[in-house]
Amino acid sequence: MDLYEEDKCYGGSHMISAKSVASEPPDDLASKWYVPAEVDSLRNLYPIVVAINFVSLCIFVLRGDSDSIFSSSMQMIVSVVILMLLSKLDQGQRFIRDGVISISGLALLLSVLQFLSGPQILIDFWMMLWTSLPAVLVIYSVSKPIVTLWASGNQTVRSAELGLSRNRSVSRFHGMVFRHVALLHAVAFVLLPILWIVDVALSPGNSLGGEFFETVTFEHFSHILSSESFWIWTRNSVIVSIGTTILGLALAIPAGYAFSRFKFRGRDYAMFSFLLVQMFPGVIILVPYFLVMKALGLLNTSLGLILAYSVTALPLCVWMLKGFFDTVPKELEEAALVDGCNQNQVFWRIILPLSLPAVAVTALFSFLAAWNEFLLALTFNTSEEMYTLPVGLASLISSTGQAWGDFAAASLLVSLPVVILFIVFQRFLIEGLSAGGVKG
Amino acid sequence: MVNVSFRKVKKQYENGFTAVNELNLEINEGEFLVLLGPSGCGKSTTLRMLAGLEDVTSGEISIGNAKVNDLPPGARGIGMVFQSYALYPHMSISDNLSFGLRMMKGEDRKSDDEISKLINETATMLGLSDELEKKPKQLSGGQRQRVALGRALIKRPRVLLMDEPLSNLDAELRQQMRIEIRRLHDELKMTTVYVTHDQIEAMTIADRIAVLNEGELQQHGPPMEVYKNPANSFIEGFLCAHLNEIVDTANSLFGGEEE
Repeated sequence: MDLYEEDKCYGGSHMISAKSVASEPPDDLASKWYVPAEVDSLRNLYPIVVAINFVSLCIFVLRGDSDSIFSSSMQMIVSVVILMLLSKLDQGQRFIRDGVISISGLALLLSVLQFLSGPQILIDFWMMLWTSLPAVLVIYSVSKPIVTLWASGNQTVRSAELGLSRNRSVSRFHGMVFRHVALLHAVAFVLLPILWIVDVALSPGNSLGGEFFETVTFEHFSHILSSESFWIWTRNSVIVSIGTTILGLALAIPAGYAFSRFKFRGRDYAMFSFLLVQMFPGVIILVPYFLVMKALGLLNTSLGLILAYSVTALPLCVWMLKGFFDTVPKELEEAALVDGCNQNQVFWRIILPLSLPAVAVTALFSFLAAWNEFLLALTFNTSEEMYTLPVGLASLISSTGQAWGDFAAASLLVSLPVVILFIVFQRFLIEGLSAGGVKG
Repeated sequence: MVNVSFRKVKKQYENGFTAVNELNLEINEGEFLVLLGPSGCGKSTTLRMLAGLEDVTSGEISIGNAKVNDLPPGARGIGMVFQSYALYPHMSISDNLSFGLRMMKGEDRKSDDEISKLINETATMLGLSDELEKKPKQLSGGQRQRVALGRALIKRPRVLLMDEPLSNLDAELRQQMRIEIRRLHDELKMTTVYVTHDQIEAMTIADRIAVLNEGELQQHGPPMEVYKNPANSFIEGFLCAHLNEIVDTANSLFGGEEE
């Protein structure tokens, strides 16, 4: 009031501003901004819970299980209600806090009932976790004294300040949990198919279903490893892949270097035409390729495949290498010229050693493309003697009945070199050799 | 040591732009010449033509009375320091220093003993003895600069070329390296061509400065002579007025109290 009286004498526009300052409570930013970290995290979590409930609902609809559809829709509605209540939860809203807790209890009950009533395979277990755990979390966090205090609106400025500083450490922990949950889902998504293949490879007989790792046998592996045709296919694949890598690099490195460094007539058109080829699906070129190979007498030879693969992998290799050569400063070449190199020596002694990471990546790329390619190999090399591994693997399914066990074992063996290559090349893939040569 | 001469040297790019026009310039044996001018004046092009990194459109460049127009850079007996240092990132410092020696052909070829002796000599001269096994990216900016200098000097070039070698360094290091470069020149007495756009750098380091603008040589002579007798209004504006301004600023900052 004193303030107000004092300011009166200034009059006019000053009075308005003085009045508004005087009528506001002292700046209590802490109380205004403080939201317990638990509430914040739950608000972030529940949209995900709703989404996953929706996914479960879809799964049940696909299964056509009407009881589960009903309980799952209930579950979905309940989680949406919790999400809405959480967003309304605020200071002095004690009844909303109580409502959230009781509805979460309902959700927990529903999810347990649903789990007990339905089939109990892995995916049901996962769904139950996603419906029950968040509800448990809500009950636990919202009933905490610190949240209760906040929700009942009785907190002081001091407690709000303490809460803010506590939020820092708590929200870091919550963030960590979130990240791990998300990453574990990603890991499971990637690993499950592989686990499945391992299971099929290790199970006796040729069944695709059944319990995980019920009985373990190596009969499929020994069968595959002792079959002569597997080794013939492996030999073919190795010849074709290494041939493709060498031929591809021998063509792509000079081409990439030339595109990167030299200006010549038609350079832009040439680079664009490289991309143009990539715009069409492989099937389009299949027939013309076949005719060319037939005319050249290259059907059922490794050389034919090497040529075809090199040509198809070339555009991407050239563009990748050009991109890397572009980052090697021109001054390095000039310095080497002053040091007495000729153009060839500059390339072999400076540019190529510097580009090893890029060359390694490109080599890996063309090797993998050739190692995994199926369509061209299937079309060109029709005699079993000249099958590559992917074609040979596919023939296990069609010709000698449904040999799923052998197929799975062979696919694991086939992916082994790829895994080894990645481990070996990893160092190159991440090494940035170019840093530090020029100022930086 | 040798002299360098430009006779009616012209550089015209394919798009018709003339970077250097009718340049006539003699550089004496053992002289420290600075090419000075604003950016785009053709000073770097001139240096790069002398190094053999750019073709000469017409005219003649000679080093020690031998025409070098069509010689590759490595055959010209030059050493060059680049603005960006251009050290080979995949080689150790000692390999960076010795790369030029190992590239030598015929009679000039050095034995491994000679090479390692030269590496040690150069490293000691530049205070790099402890860094020989490191890679360029492990060194500080100043050290990289020294390696770049050492790589140019180790072959005992007949002409040393420097293209704005100090522009990537901070002010203190720049001052220090300026003194050191001048000291090395006085010691080794090699003909040196130094490109810069910094008037103070040019005035303090040069025996003679040659000022270029828009591809034309404006004036050349000992620094103080050019400063005192500017040949035209460009020199007056670019060199004299700029230096006077610095002097005035310094005076107004420090001189006021004494008066």
